[in-house]
Amino acid sequence: MEWGSRSVSRRRGPGVVRGHLQAIAAALRQLARPPMAMPLLEAEDARVPGYRGVIVFHYDRCIGCSLCAQICPSRAIKMYRVPGDKRIRPGYDVGRCIFCGLCADICPVDALETSIIHDRVYEDVPSMNMDPVEWAVWSKRILREEREPGRPRLRAVVDPDRGLRYERVEA
Amino acid sequence: MADPVAWLAGLLGVPVWLARSVFAPLVYPGLLAFTVVALFIIWAERKITARVQMRVGPYYVSPRLGGALQLLADGVRIAFQEVIIPRQVERYSFILAPVLGFAVTAMALAVVPGGPGVYGFRSSVGLLVAYALLGLAPLLVVVMGWAANNKFTQIGAAREILVSVAGEVTLLASLLAAAMMYGTMDLVEIVEAQAAAGVPGIVANPVAALLFFIAALLIADRVPFDLVLGEQEIVQGPYTEYSGVLFALTMALDYLKLYILMMLFADVFLGGWMPFSDPLLGSAAVFAKTVALMLAAVFLRSVYARMRLDQVASMFWSKLFPLALIAFVLSAAVHPLYGGVLAG
Ligand code: SF4
Ligand code: SF4
Repeated sequence: MEWGSRSVSRRRGPGVVRGHLQAIAAALRQLARPPMAMPLLEAEDARVPGYRGVIVFHYDRCIGCSLCAQICPSRAIKMYRVPGDKRIRPGYDVGRCIFCGLCADICPVDALETSIIHDRVYEDVPSMNMDPVEWAVWSKRILREEREPGRPRLRAVVDPDRGLRYERVEA
Repeated sequence: MADPVAWLAGLLGVPVWLARSVFAPLVYPGLLAFTVVALFIIWAERKITARVQMRVGPYYVSPRLGGALQLLADGVRIAFQEVIIPRQVERYSFILAPVLGFAVTAMALAVVPGGPGVYGFRSSVGLLVAYALLGLAPLLVVVMGWAANNKFTQIGAAREILVSVAGEVTLLASLLAAAMMYGTMDLVEIVEAQAAAGVPGIVANPVAALLFFIAALLIADRVPFDLVLGEQEIVQGPYTEYSGVLFALTMALDYLKLYILMMLFADVFLGGWMPFSDPLLGSAAVFAKTVALMLAAVFLRSVYARMRLDQVASMFWSKLFPLALIAFVLSAAVHPLYGGVLAG
């Protein structure tokens, strides 16, 4: 059948009364079905491997080459001088980061990694901007959370009967 | 206990008429009952809409009660919220319009009987009194929209003028058809006529009942006729600039209209306290019918989308108005069913 042919454009819907009854019946059927929203206060979304969340920094691996600061498109990474350290080290501003992962790619010694953690609350804007030492300490916390989540991680699975179903994923 | 109001009056040592005219508007079917109903209905509305859309709805305020206390929490928040009065508004009309609108509409609760003998006062034209009091609210809504001096409120007020005329004509037509059918405008007599004939009005004249229900949805700003509020288009229509307690009043105004109209529907078309004649059981019957009707009205929110202004106007004037004429013919035909009862 061609587009715009008469038989398509002339197709009639159900009559007025039947149309209303069908709409109401459809809503009533929906009402009887269980909700399929994820209980987000009690569980969290499982992330796929390779998810680009916040960047974690391993201070001891870094060689201070500044490549990360050069590649960062949003200037979230800047090099700092750390007292008692003769090399310069990267600092990180989560507020500027666009989670592109370029810094983790370019780092020659894998001192930077993407994590699966993304949604975080910060008390104020300055606390989102970390110097190298703060970043390294914060990264330890993020890595621990990645290994031992506080809430069960759930993954959405398409279910032909219910729409969506959630199954638990081990960390 | 034949008459709880009379018993209460005896207990307090006041005349019965005084107890009646205080009890009905303030306790049941008045403001106290309305507050409980409004808290329940708004929660039910959110819960029903959520379930139809496969969400959970209010939950975390009281997980074991399914979030039923959410509305109390919202109420506390609204009660402590600052009432902001923008600089460009006309101060006194802005503050007084919602208060007056709510008060005038609530006065209708004195006429609508909530059970056998449970009414503020009885009048031979009770139906018209209730209609007239409900008809005053749109004027105050227009005042709100004008006083707030904002383009959204003014668009909302203009829409209120256009749709409330259409809705009220239809409502009046269905009420007059009902009055013609029962041969009286006294709400108590209307219920008694149905009880005596044993046939509720909705069976005798389904057309008038349908018209009343549709017009009630429009007057109470329910979906699909909520274009006065039109959240996605004009923020909150005439109520846009209100905050805090005044906002709560504007919101309660629409639910109050719905409550009164559905109680009228229960009295006029569903036989009021019909299976019972005891004041307590009868009041419970009217109350249950009212709440069931309100639940049906809020459920429709998840079925329909909002209609456009021209669609509403053409639906009410060119489809429902001719139906009203059929309702009149039907009323004339079924009149003997009730007319004989009252005469005898
Ligand atoms: S992920 Fe992208 S934006 Fe964020 S710090 Fe690395 S390079 Fe910069
Ligand atoms: S790219 Fe890697 S090694 Fe080079 S400064 Fe950045 S973190 Fe250190």
